[in-house]
Parts: sequence; C-alpha cells; structure tokens
Amino acid sequence: MENTYLTKKDVIQINEDTFIVTFNEKFKFDEGQFIMIQTPSLTRKPFILGTWKSNIAVSVQIKGKGTKYIVFEEKKFKAHFPLGNKFIPPAGNGIVIASPTCITLANLLHEKYSCNVLIGSKSKINFELPFESVVGNEDFSKKIKTLKPYDWYLVSGSKQMEEFVLSNIESKNVFVSLEEYMGCGIGACKSCAVFTKDGVKHVCTDGPIFRRDIL
Amino acid sequence: MNLNPPLVIASGPGGSGEYLSLINPKYVGAYTLKTITLNPKPGNKSKRMENSENYIINSIGLENPGIEYVISNIEKFVLKETKTILSLGGDSKDEYIKIAEKIAPYAKKFEAIEFNFSCPNVKKGGLSILSDVNEWQEILENVRKILPNSFLIAKLSIEGNFVEVLSKKVKEFGWNGLTLINCVRGLLIKDGKIVTGGLSGPILKPIALRAIYEVRKVLKDIYIIASGGIYTKKDVDDFLLVGANAISIGSALFKDPQVIEELGKYLKGVEK
Repeated sequence: MENTYLTKKDVIQINEDTFIVTFNEKFKFDEGQFIMIQTPSLTRKPFILGTWKSNIAVSVQIKGKGTKYIVFEEKKFKAHFPLGNKFIPPAGNGIVIASPTCITLANLLHEKYSCNVLIGSKSKINFELPFESVVGNEDFSKKIKTLKPYDWYLVSGSKQMEEFVLSNIESKNVFVSLEEYMGCGIGACKSCAVFTKDGVKHVCTDGPIFRRDIL
Repeated sequence: MNLNPPLVIASGPGGSGEYLSLINPKYVGAYTLKTITLNPKPGNKSKRMENSENYIINSIGLENPGIEYVISNIEKFVLKETKTILSLGGDSKDEYIKIAEKIAPYAKKFEAIEFNFSCPNVKKGGLSILSDVNEWQEILENVRKILPNSFLIAKLSIEGNFVEVLSKKVKEFGWNGLTLINCVRGLLIKDGKIVTGGLSGPILKPIALRAIYEVRKVLKDIYIIASGGIYTKKDVDDFLLVGANAISIGSALFKDPQVIEELGKYLKGVEK
C-alpha cells in the first residue's frame, strides 16, 4: 500500500454529473480494489479503481465540494492505494451491471474476463461507450427483467440500483459492490461496517465486493 | 512516560495499528489501540460516520472483539514498531473493575493503560460513567489497586462535570495521566435526516484547549495528552502552551496519515 501523489491526465464527462478521471501514473492493483483520495474535506474519499484507454482511472460523480475539487480543480492528488480485496469471478459468462460511477471497473473486468457490461445511467450518456447502456429508470428496469441468464453477475452502482437488480436476478453467483462511508479505508476506524449473515464485516477490508448470499 | 516524540495516535481513529503501514513509526511516540470492553461489541448500525466543513460525527458504538480475544491474541495487540497504549472501557463500574483484573497479568506489555471514561453507564440508564462521581471514584480506587505498577491514564470527556474537578480525583487516586478531551455529543442534519454521535475535528480545538488550560492550572504534575482537533504545527504549539505534555492525533489521520510524520518531525526538532 502506498500513500503518495497521483497526477490527473484526462477528465472525460460520461453524463450530466459523472466523469472519468485518468491518472498519469501506473501502479499495480487488482480488480475490485479501491483508492482513498484526499480533498479539502476532513476525510479522504473512496473510489473504485479501473481503467480507461490504457490508463488507471476512477469514475467520479459530483456530489459536493470534494468531488468538484477532484474533477475540476486539482491536478495533483494525495492518496493511499490499492485497498480492499481482489474480485475473482466464477467461471463462465458473466455480466457487470453498473452505474456510470463504476464504469472504469466495468471496463477493466470487460478487458480481463471478456464479460458483458450493462451501464444504467439516469441521464443521457455523452459519448459512445464500448458496451451496452440504457438511460432512465424505465428502460433500465425493462432491460433487467428481460436479461438473458449469465453464469455470474456483479452489480455496482447506487443502493437503489443494486436493490432493484438484486430483487430481479435469481442466481447463486451474484456479487455486489458495497458503498459505506469510510474514514480510513484500511480497517482502523470501523465506520464502513455492514451487518451480514456472517457477522459484522467492513467494506474496506472484507470487501468492497461481497457475495449476495452473505448479505 | 517518556515518549519521543511526545506524539500519540488516538484511540478510536487509530484502530489497532493499521496506520503503521502508512506512517513512519519513528515519528510515533505511542500508539493507542481502539477501546476494548469486557464483552465483544458489534457496534452501531450504519451510517457510522458523517463529516461537515470542520467537524466529523461518528457513532461507531465501540465495536471491538472483547478482552478475552485480546488476551488470547495478546502479541498481535502489542505493536512491535512503537510503544503501545491499551485503551479499556466498560458499561458499568463492575465491568471496569473486571476488565482491569483480566488485563493485570499482561499489563507490563503496555507502555500505559488508558481508561476511556466516555462510555455510557448501561446500569444507570445510559448516562455517562462520569455522571455518578462516587461510583466513578470507586473505579479509580479499585483499578489503581489492581494495576499498581501501570502508567494509568484517564480519558475524560468534558460532559458530566467540570473537567478540572474530575482531573483532581484522577490525581487523588494515584493515576498518572489524563487524555483531554474525548469527542463531545454532537448532531448533524444531513439530507434532512438527524445524525447523532461523537463530535471530532477542528471544531473541537477551542474546547480542548480550554479543558487543558483549566486542568493545568490546578494540577502541575500530571501527564496530559492533548486531544481534540489537532491538525497543524500551530495546533501543536497552542496545546503545548496551555500545558500539554504530549499531542494526540485522531481525526486528522483521515485527512492525511502523513500528518504524523510532519508533526512528529516538528516535535523532535527535526523540522521547524
């Protein structure tokens, strides 16, 4: 794990409030791992790591001053990374169902496992994605309900999106990327706890990706 | 207690030594472990943390594996890289005394033992353990007898009584140090929802400064670890000026773990 500086290479707008931020630096990380980026806020913010056009990248949804700082203001970030666990999908054909905030992870998994990707965006997507996308709740729900069966599923998006997808998919191989407020990202503060069938787990050290059947 | 530098990682945000993978232990005087209670605690339901411009609210709920687990894995809890301060808490007078008895055979392994007196007294309807001063004095007296050779630190909140009054009791019963202050109760409204918990962050600094100032006026020779909104060299200077012996870093770790190195070098005189 490193605690160092990263520099911003490009910013690409995905939809009205979400952006891909790519970095100049190369470093090793596994699929599913995340990074804690420093902003003017009192706590660093977690972002799931991925790739975009051969660069290491994160996807950032503008939610407040911290995310605006990352996308529009600062070019050099202090951060610690990589954090969390590697996601290893089961064998067979899989699909990543994700919101634009997880698009770089979806891209990485698509490149590594040739899995399908479905992006569900609440607003118009500004450029041509290399995988399937649907815009708006209605089209997204239709798509999920008529989805062909896969050997595994990874759902990564807002809580609302995750709940909808999980309630519409019957499979023993469903995985979900969880988001809880994080203070440290390294297992010290215990702020990102989730109560599971296997007891208290922490998104930062036990996740961020969990099997649905333990939740 | 002789710490070089006089810089402590605070119990709570510091966890159980995890930050030592991000910071240089050379600049950590001692590392305080997350508070351990007699029985394991799962902690509170999410959300456990929120932050605003200059403060953080947390409601972790003392999640910890319990003292038996710590004793069974004692070497894991005694950090190799730096001096370790054990933090203990309880839900009642009996729990404080029992946990002191349980740790007594291992007490030498720790540089100091800090007792967190901000815990709610479950037997007294959830009021602070400090709300019944007579009962709290019994804890001080008994724990001192059970741990006669340990450097005992009382971590006090400013709630329940004037901190200088409580501090005199700590000294009277032969304890060695104070950590001042713990989080204070706070409330944040986020997306129209009320979030309650312990308040930390820069907003705590004037409250902590005043507490240390008042305690130092009445107690010249007790070891005081300053805690509350310390983020910068200026904060360090201010707390030393009002009488702190050591500086404790808590929520600042969430912003930048390397603040330890910066402040540690400053305290060691390596950097101005």
